Amino acid sequence: MGNQHDFYQGTMNIRLKGSLIEPFLHACTRQGCQLSRVRRIGDDEVVLTIRLRDWPIMRKLRKKYRCKIEIIDGKGVPFLVKRMVKKTSLLLSFIAAVIFIFVLANTLWSIEVKGLSPELEASVEKKLKSYGVYPGKLTIGMDDPIEIQSKLLDDIPDLLWVGVKKQGTSYHLYGVEKTRQDLDENDRPSYLVATKKGMVIRSFIKKGRPLVSVYDIVKKGQPLATGELVEEGDVFVHTEGEVIAETWYKAEQQLPLKHILDLTSGEANYSYGLKIGSFKLPLWGWWKSDEGKVREEEVVTDWNVRDWTLPIQWQKKTAFQIDRVSFNQSKKELQEIGAKTARRSLLQQLGEDAAIKDEKVLHLGEEHGKVKLILLFKVHENIAETKYISQGD
Amino acid sequence: MAKWQQNIRAWIGRYFDLPSDVMLDLPRITTIGSIHVYIENHTGLLHFSDNEIRIQYKKGQVRILGSGLGIKMMLKEELLLEGELKSVEFLPDGQ
Repeated sequence: MGNQHDFYQGTMNIRLKGSLIEPFLHACTRQGCQLSRVRRIGDDEVVLTIRLRDWPIMRKLRKKYRCKIEIIDGKGVPFLVKRMVKKTSLLLSFIAAVIFIFVLANTLWSIEVKGLSPELEASVEKKLKSYGVYPGKLTIGMDDPIEIQSKLLDDIPDLLWVGVKKQGTSYHLYGVEKTRQDLDENDRPSYLVATKKGMVIRSFIKKGRPLVSVYDIVKKGQPLATGELVEEGDVFVHTEGEVIAETWYKAEQQLPLKHILDLTSGEANYSYGLKIGSFKLPLWGWWKSDEGKVREEEVVTDWNVRDWTLPIQWQKKTAFQIDRVSFNQSKKELQEIGAKTARRSLLQQLGEDAAIKDEKVLHLGEEHGKVKLILLFKVHENIAETKYISQGD
Repeated sequence: MAKWQQNIRAWIGRYFDLPSDVMLDLPRITTIGSIHVYIENHTGLLHFSDNEIRIQYKKGQVRILGSGLGIKMMLKEELLLEGELKSVEFLPDGQ
């Protein structure tokens, strides 16, 4: 009967041929065989199912009864195992495929960081790498996302919060940066002083008592507004405000009349090669001779296999043809150029809030092939600076 | 001698109210409708085909007629037959 036990032990369907089938079957059962599903299919032919472990008994007895036994098929675990073992390569490739898929599924393929500034993102990635969390690493034995989260929060003080989520083979991090707010500083009593000498054009004091009025000339360090609200009182508050003043800058510039420039003509020779350590192996384009003056640019490309850099590098050399051109410029042109660069550098120095209102050429002279230019700029800028009062020490 | 032994056995069986198949070495044949026959205590399978199965027991043969007969299971002293049964006949020895 086809029960569980027989399945593990294994059963066989066989075909018996011979004239002494009944005595043979009887002899078999006498020896302890268990026969089932016996059916006659011909005059001297019978099919039946036997247990695998009864097989030796049948083999022993078949000669005596002159029966021919033909195995039709086998069922159960022993036959399955036998078939599996026979197909070793299939079995091995199956196991290999399972392992392969398992490894791939348990490999971290990408880390995505969102919501952070590039610098913080880089530091988060660096920290993750130090925990052993980077693309290409097996996730087995890796810390839990929750653990990584708490570690990141501990190690990077600028992070307000970070969410670490594992999605399949990638990590998604969502961070929130701490916005620094120096709240205490804003409330401290202070006054405004001038950072530069200038003439007050406009003043807008949000908090505090103004001390200067429009068109006053102020010196550097002079108070512009105070937090002392009443003249005799002790009430000091925080002062805040803007004082736009007119300031003056002198710029001096020396510009050569003759200018020599190296210009690439656009024609270039390319040569390629391999670089192994300090040894260079030219591959292509090395026979081209460089005519005249050239500027060479070399690009060396590393080859990487995962984290490992190959010792062989690809080298591309570009030789640009150069034309030397000399420019002669007039005084007028140079003055324009000089004024422009002076303006630009001044604005760069003063910041975005400043505005150049007027410019005047004080001096324009020529000596030793150079033009000397002195310019005066009138600038409107904020000169107010907050100074804190230390109290009661 | 054999006859005397048989008589003794029959008497003991009656006296102790024992099942006769145990005492007298006779086959116990159970049928389930006409689809299954369960035979215990047989001593051998004599013939086996789709229409007829003959079984040896101590004192004779049992002939089972039917169609599409087959042996579902065969053990040392047990036999489970299946198929469409028509008749069970006893053919004692010496007849």
